[in-house]
Amino acid sequence: MIIGRISRFLSDFDNLMPVFAGACALLFAIGILLLPLPYSESQLYPKRIDRTSSLDPYDRGGPPFTQANISMQYPENSPTAGYVTTYLTPFSWWLSTTTPHLGTTIVAHPGGILDEILYNTRGLDTVVEPTILFIAFAIGSYLFRKGI
Amino acid sequence: MNSIGGPPLFFLEFGDIMIYFSPYTVALFLLALVFTVLAIVSRPENQVEILFGTDAYYGKEIDVPEMRFRRFMSIACGLACMGAMVTGDLFDFTLFVSLVGICNVGIVAAVKTKHVQNAAFQYGIVALTATVPLFGGAAIAAATTGTLSMIALGSGLAGPAPFITRAALVLGVMGEGMAPFYAAKAEMFRAPGAPYVIMCSFSSLLIFLRVVEVVLTI
Repeated sequence: MIIGRISRFLSDFDNLMPVFAGACALLFAIGILLLPLPYSESQLYPKRIDRTSSLDPYDRGGPPFTQANISMQYPENSPTAGYVTTYLTPFSWWLSTTTPHLGTTIVAHPGGILDEILYNTRGLDTVVEPTILFIAFAIGSYLFRKGI
Repeated sequence: MNSIGGPPLFFLEFGDIMIYFSPYTVALFLLALVFTVLAIVSRPENQVEILFGTDAYYGKEIDVPEMRFRRFMSIACGLACMGAMVTGDLFDFTLFVSLVGICNVGIVAAVKTKHVQNAAFQYGIVALTATVPLFGGAAIAAATTGTLSMIALGSGLAGPAPFITRAALVLGVMGEGMAPFYAAKAEMFRAPGAPYVIMCSFSSLLIFLRVVEVVLTI
């Protein structure tokens, strides 16, 4: 009886979204009750921000063309990690030495700074993320061109 | 490492993202591979609907662009499924699962029937919402243990992930896979073009099988 009522309620797909949102809200309410969660001090990808650097939010430390100290899960898999400023083209290098805020123009010129951790140690993530975007754009453009 | 799915046979390194093939993940990977090949080679079936109470019937034709788009989406779904089966990184797993979810939305949204599109819209919103517990769970695991590698989490190097991470991962996969909401998918099975719709259900099943292993490992 009750199962029949539940299945009749769920068979209307307009009800799925409220049910799922309610489940999420319930889960996170339980999560709030389970606080505090201990914070691990030895984080894998710590972020030290040097506000005085011209590469401000992206500076991983260390001089250019010399290996900076970056903590990794499997250091043996990324032997070239830590050479963050070697990604700068000569033009970007000139910009970074003349202007104080190259870090804010990361996407505005070719050969800008690539985030060392993202692109060297977590390269597969950066492939999957644009794939999700690409699929979303493909669906959107297909629906748009089809003209419902 | 806590070998729920058997000892890892082979590691494939992508920097910090270690892909591992244990007997369990190899089996799931091969299943996803076989079904992707089937989606590539199969042709959509033409549906015949019979009008109730009469002798009349009409067939539904599927035009080539729709077929092509849905085949593309099901191949992408199969690839995402293969990635989700073997990845050994928590954040990478959540990314692949959200890719599976959005590909499923794409497979269904290409159908030109109105009720199917309404269902796809609702399903898309659920898949969108499900990314919150998915990525939230991975973020909580990263904050409390300091690592995202399932191998490190399973071997006891970083300690087990908190309960809320596992619960959030399961809920997120439920939202992306929609398997408990099977009633809504019945709407989609009535849509023409069977083999591609099967890919939706199949990928949901596979990511469910995989998240069980993930939750028991971390």
